[in-house]
Amino acid sequence: MSEMPRPQDASYKMLINGKFVDASNGATRKSYCPANGEFLASFPDATKEDVDAAVKAAWAAFDSWKKVSVTEKQAILTKIADVIDANKETLAMIESLDNGKPIRETMTVDIPLSSDHFRYFAGVIRGEEGQASIIDDTAQGLFGNNLSIILREPIGVVGQIIPWNFPFAMAAWKIAPVLAAGDCTVIKPSSTTSLSLLHLAKLIAPLLPPGVVNVITGRGSTTGQFMLDHPDFRKLAFTGSTEVGYSVADAAAKKLIPSTLELGGKSANIFFPDCNWAKAIEGVHLGILFNQGQVCCAGSRVFVHEDIYDKFVAELVASFKKVNVNVPWENTTQMGSQVDEGQLQKILSYVEIGKQEGAKVAVGGARATGNGLEKGAFMQPTLLVDVNNKMRVAQEEIFGPVAVVIKFKTEEEVIALANDSEYGLGGAVWTQDINRAFRVARGIETGRVWVNQYNDLPAHTPFGGYKKSGIGRETHKVILDHYTQMKNIFINFEEKAIGLY
Amino acid sequence: MVTKETMVEDVVTIPGIISYFIQHGVSPITCDGAFPQSIGRLLEIKKVPDPDAFIDGINAFLKGLEAAIDSN
Repeated sequence: MSEMPRPQDASYKMLINGKFVDASNGATRKSYCPANGEFLASFPDATKEDVDAAVKAAWAAFDSWKKVSVTEKQAILTKIADVIDANKETLAMIESLDNGKPIRETMTVDIPLSSDHFRYFAGVIRGEEGQASIIDDTAQGLFGNNLSIILREPIGVVGQIIPWNFPFAMAAWKIAPVLAAGDCTVIKPSSTTSLSLLHLAKLIAPLLPPGVVNVITGRGSTTGQFMLDHPDFRKLAFTGSTEVGYSVADAAAKKLIPSTLELGGKSANIFFPDCNWAKAIEGVHLGILFNQGQVCCAGSRVFVHEDIYDKFVAELVASFKKVNVNVPWENTTQMGSQVDEGQLQKILSYVEIGKQEGAKVAVGGARATGNGLEKGAFMQPTLLVDVNNKMRVAQEEIFGPVAVVIKFKTEEEVIALANDSEYGLGGAVWTQDINRAFRVARGIETGRVWVNQYNDLPAHTPFGGYKKSGIGRETHKVILDHYTQMKNIFINFEEKAIGLY
Repeated sequence: MVTKETMVEDVVTIPGIISYFIQHGVSPITCDGAFPQSIGRLLEIKKVPDPDAFIDGINAFLKGLEAAIDSN
């Protein structure tokens, strides 16, 4: 095992009102690499006063930021993308060390997709033209000869909270559209993985007016709660668990403000006999091993048609055994560490529950050890078979590299099984019959259905959940609707009074 | 002594407690980290039918853990 690189600073400060500051009481938290337990960096544990200062700074910046021209905002968004690309290696390594995810993923997915997110919104806002319509029909109102103009105006200061599984990408998903919409933000990363966003804050602060983006750090129970309790947000945006989603929705409702929520999932990854075999086998890996399975839309329920079940599972078992589980900073690592020991314990607990429910471990099922991995939170790629869809392991979000494999007979049956879940975030169907693919995709009650691919999340496709997987959509220009409000200017051109009075 | 008011983050580092929670149908940690509110609130959200029994179970688990540590 090679020595762990150290591209990160030894300590970070928060970004509030364009300045880098400690917590007002000096409190800090520490970040450790989950792959070996080594200290990475310290960062502030924000107080209520810090949150308040960030919200005030954001409001102070809003009046001028909302008036910034589209071309200027486009230039800033593009510069942010350029800065991310120019610092790709550093940001990717910090993300890998703090989260445990392999460097090959952060270098090819997390960081480049994040810079592309800023580029996408830099382009999209140039195409925003509002709407106008002539309303001449007097039957629709008192007057004829009207022009209705619909504009989108920024909503104000937004509170944004993001999880630990994609710290950098989720920050991009939140910050890029906020800037594009003309809003200001107070954003808080998970206390488990705060470093990449804090490092990004250092890079982008010179590109933005003070207060437009404020990054605060700390625990969910304190800093996060201070945000939810703060009266001056005009919108909350949250990516995380369904459990915490209830609290965010509750906090928004009490303030009578909107919230967008991207929450949990237990997505179906469905394989028909006519699937492209090599792609399909890879598709199971992509669905459940990408990011160590710590993906809200992970393909954690693998439905395999009975005609191919035995051969398909045998091949999966053989290929899962070959996955290179190793430290995240090695280029050859295919699967890194879980985010921390607690998450690993959770995953192992679910494997035990699966066994108690009658499932069999076809491959994996235990902590990954050897070659120094004992120091970290590594899990073997795991498949549970002899599972039925009612088992807890098929209904609850394990959030690790553990998929359950379920046999099905018919298209109708597998659609029903896929929909037998409280969640509705993602899923996929693998077949070369386009008619079947479309039928199944339409039949599944989720916000995203991939066909012959998995976990591809480009900027220009809307992403979000049905049912308990969330409210609203992120990515795609549709998110600008969530970060703006509609202004209707209704003009009458008649010279004469109506004569009613 | 754990009560409904005990914060989830204050107990999740206790060895074995995550497994205890999950075995009894409640995950105390998610992609946000430890649930950022009290155990009582978590049990309410998860619609645990008898929260008092759940809390009693945690305390019994902790007592067993202490005894095991003492005997070692």
